[in-house]
Amino acid sequence: MIGIIEKRNFREFDFLLLILAISIVCFGIWQIYNAQPNEIYWQKQIIGLIIAVLIALVVSMIDYRTLIHFAPAFYALGLILLILVLTPLGVKVKGQQAWLKLPIVGQFQPSEFVKIPVVLMLAKYFGERKGVQPLTLKEMMVGVAILVAPVGLILLEPDAGQALTYIPLLATVIFLSAIKIRWVVLSLIAVLILAPVSFYVGVKTGKIKQYQIERINVILDPENADPRGYGYHTFQSIITVGQGGVTGIKGDAEKSQSALKFLPEPHTDFIFAVTAENTGFLGCVSLLLAYALLLSRLIMGAKFSPDRAGMLVIMAFVGGMTFQIFINIGMTLGILPVIGVPLPLMSAGLSSILSTFIAIGFVLSVRMRRFVNY
Amino acid sequence: MINDYSQNLLARITTVQVIAYILLLILGGRVFYLQIIRGDYYKEKAENQRIKLIPIPAPRGSILDRYGRILVDSRPSYNIVFASEQIKFINPFERVDDYARGLKVDKQYLIERLNLIKKQPGFETMIIKENATIEDIAWVEAHSLEFPELQVEIRPQRNYPYGEVLAHVLGYVGEVSPKQLEKPEYSHLKPGDIVGKAGLEQYYDKYLRGIPGYRKVLVDSRGRIQAELEVVEPQPGQDLITTIDLDLQLAAEAELAKSVTKRGAIIAMDPNNGEILAMASSPSFDPNVFVKGVSTPEGRRKIAEYYKDENRPLLNRAIQGRYHPGSTWKIPLAVAGLQQEAITVKNSRLLCGGGITIGNKFTRCMGNHGTPPLDYAITKSCDGYFYRLGLKLGVDGLIKMVEEFEYDRPTGIDLPNEKATRTPKYWKPYVEKREGSWKDIRTVYASIGQDTVEATPISMLRTIAAIGVQGKMYVPHLMKEIKEIGAVGAFPARPGLTYEIPEPKIIKMTEEQEALVMHGLWGVVNAGGTASRIRIPGFDIAGKTGTAQNAALGTKGPKDHAWFVSFAPAYKPEIAVMAIIENSGFGAQHAAPAVRGVYDAYLRKHHPELVQGQTLAKNGL
Repeated sequence: MIGIIEKRNFREFDFLLLILAISIVCFGIWQIYNAQPNEIYWQKQIIGLIIAVLIALVVSMIDYRTLIHFAPAFYALGLILLILVLTPLGVKVKGQQAWLKLPIVGQFQPSEFVKIPVVLMLAKYFGERKGVQPLTLKEMMVGVAILVAPVGLILLEPDAGQALTYIPLLATVIFLSAIKIRWVVLSLIAVLILAPVSFYVGVKTGKIKQYQIERINVILDPENADPRGYGYHTFQSIITVGQGGVTGIKGDAEKSQSALKFLPEPHTDFIFAVTAENTGFLGCVSLLLAYALLLSRLIMGAKFSPDRAGMLVIMAFVGGMTFQIFINIGMTLGILPVIGVPLPLMSAGLSSILSTFIAIGFVLSVRMRRFVNY
Repeated sequence: MINDYSQNLLARITTVQVIAYILLLILGGRVFYLQIIRGDYYKEKAENQRIKLIPIPAPRGSILDRYGRILVDSRPSYNIVFASEQIKFINPFERVDDYARGLKVDKQYLIERLNLIKKQPGFETMIIKENATIEDIAWVEAHSLEFPELQVEIRPQRNYPYGEVLAHVLGYVGEVSPKQLEKPEYSHLKPGDIVGKAGLEQYYDKYLRGIPGYRKVLVDSRGRIQAELEVVEPQPGQDLITTIDLDLQLAAEAELAKSVTKRGAIIAMDPNNGEILAMASSPSFDPNVFVKGVSTPEGRRKIAEYYKDENRPLLNRAIQGRYHPGSTWKIPLAVAGLQQEAITVKNSRLLCGGGITIGNKFTRCMGNHGTPPLDYAITKSCDGYFYRLGLKLGVDGLIKMVEEFEYDRPTGIDLPNEKATRTPKYWKPYVEKREGSWKDIRTVYASIGQDTVEATPISMLRTIAAIGVQGKMYVPHLMKEIKEIGAVGAFPARPGLTYEIPEPKIIKMTEEQEALVMHGLWGVVNAGGTASRIRIPGFDIAGKTGTAQNAALGTKGPKDHAWFVSFAPAYKPEIAVMAIIENSGFGAQHAAPAVRGVYDAYLRKHHPELVQGQTLAKNGL
């Protein structure tokens, strides 16, 4: 395969993007260690990083157009995996049947990986449309249809958090596919109005359960909304972040909210709280800047994409990643409800890191072929 | 470039980029708020939930008798408790069977305790088994992973080895009450701390009480201790050495137990300094019930019974009981008669007359004693003589006597809630208000310790014992010495102290006057007087019997209270003993033998050579 790579392509290899991503993961491994120094999560994550980088390199060597071309096959494979999860082959963890245990490959979370074929499918469909004419309703419906099958299967696990992360993929693709701005504005207004109204109506008619109301109240006032119940995780996360101060506790185990088990899931969903606790405001800002830089680099890649499909893949990836960062850190900081979504590149978990690096490999592939002429 | 695909694709990509930056900025702003603006607040919150202070209770000082024998001590007690931190994660009701089997506790009782927890949401720990055995502790330790909600707690528990013996003097301890916490002397305590609630435990609480230490520990979210950050050892309380002689105390208790009504009090005192050698009050209570029983339904029931019992077992009759002193009152009256010169040593004779007529009412004497001198009147307890002596003094003379003998105030014994004797001085204003004037008949009754005279046993012993020691009335006391305790960690040493005997109040008598009264007192036992049956050859007891009516005049009410107040040996007293047996009858018949029992115990210890003669005398009765 190496032979295919031309020298010219290699010069276009986005080292900065790869190094940035690897740096964030390394920073994450340090935090995973801080969160669970006595567990092997951080060692697993190192192995995961090595595998992930290798896979990203392999993916970058392949022409992304080939991958997009075979999108339906990947998509079908993804759906099969999601169905398998629901069979006895699936593994149940904390009430969610979201993992699949296969021989040789081991245990992984298909819903993390299926994002890639979904993005490829969307890119294939919307990338092929020509010209400047506005998006039709039918085209939008096809996009929705692509999403419905995997999201539906994921909701059956049930893993609402993961299902939610598929929405921005479609939203970004549609937004960048010449949808009329008035539709965008209209749907934004509709959401802004309908969300509170439906919540109000739901409460009045009893359709929204008391515990769901509690979860909303927790966001409005985490400290006083039942800190022993629904508010517990949010409140503990806020304390953990808050006590980091400017420079953090620097791994002092006697102060560590995660070592003392006040903070739930410190190495996965609440990894940002651990980061905040150990590295303080300086560490948090550095991480947020690193994400900003990473996203900018990706968007630059999108702009230089030789075709529409490549641009859509990268931008869908940008949309999904931004959304996931915001949902995860927002939850950690107590401004969003608790939703189990990993923080990209930071949270411990092989599936998450592998799928992210596959996407990065894809972006690298697009970037390397920017000067390819048709 | 790809711009040719749609009219404003670049702008839309830029829009996505800007949205991404805005979202990251929101997150950054929130982080700034939580870490920079509110950082110190959350630092404190985090510290408060991970650092816990676990108090280490300080053992209280022991209480010892004058020879160093332990009357009260503290011993470690292991309790099995439910920890509140744990319980919110589990349903303990599902585990009741396991607990019951493992700890050998009644299942029903456990359910009762668990229900109690529901009613007190703020609890820290709930004892489910007190005084746990080694097997219980081993079981809890072995199942610590399975049942983290069960924990072993050690705390020193007050132990009263003699149970009901000396209970009123010793008192008991208990958790500080909310009311006490408001007082300045308890202000540094916290709810749940143990303080003295009665008796010496209460009076000398600040010495007996130690200073609790604490363990500063790091806990995890379930309250499990992760590390010990600091240990401050407690400083034990100071030991209290009392004046009590346990042997005499046991003898006194035995005499009360033998008495017909088993109600009354016996006090033994050193007349030369006021040291209380024995103080028994019956019926009594078991202080252990208050200490161990508060947390169990049976214990609570028992305590409630103590409060409801009409025989009032919680009352220390020796210092809180008020009884008409009857004829024992004649002794201070005799001294007052001489002091106020109503009679003189040379001419102390007054008519007995078999009684006296006031108005149209005749009040009789028990016999007809002619016109006896004072000493004979005392020996025979002639009422007629003292009616007339009382009338000669008049009520003002009686009040003067009350003041001379300090009957108008408590004796000042080092026990809480001592009652003062009540006398005509106290009652006169009430009587005058109700009846217009103080009538002679009241003076007559007051002369023989009836009607308006209600004396505490301790006050009668104090005054009569003074006759034997040249009129020196010492303040009765129970504290001999409080031991010092060395410095512990940051807690400084607490110095010891000994009881400083206050200057005695002197009852002024000439030698002749004293000899005359003494002769009367001596005769009561040794010259054919009312209590001659308890005579001990070689150990002359001087004393006075009393038989106090407590039924309304002319009615057949409850039996009389029997008194005997004495000291011995008569002319060089070493010990003074009194007894009152409620509703038993004659003082000579019921109180004097009880006093004799205490003297016997004293003799066996201090004058064993006399014990032989004593048994002979007893056989001769």
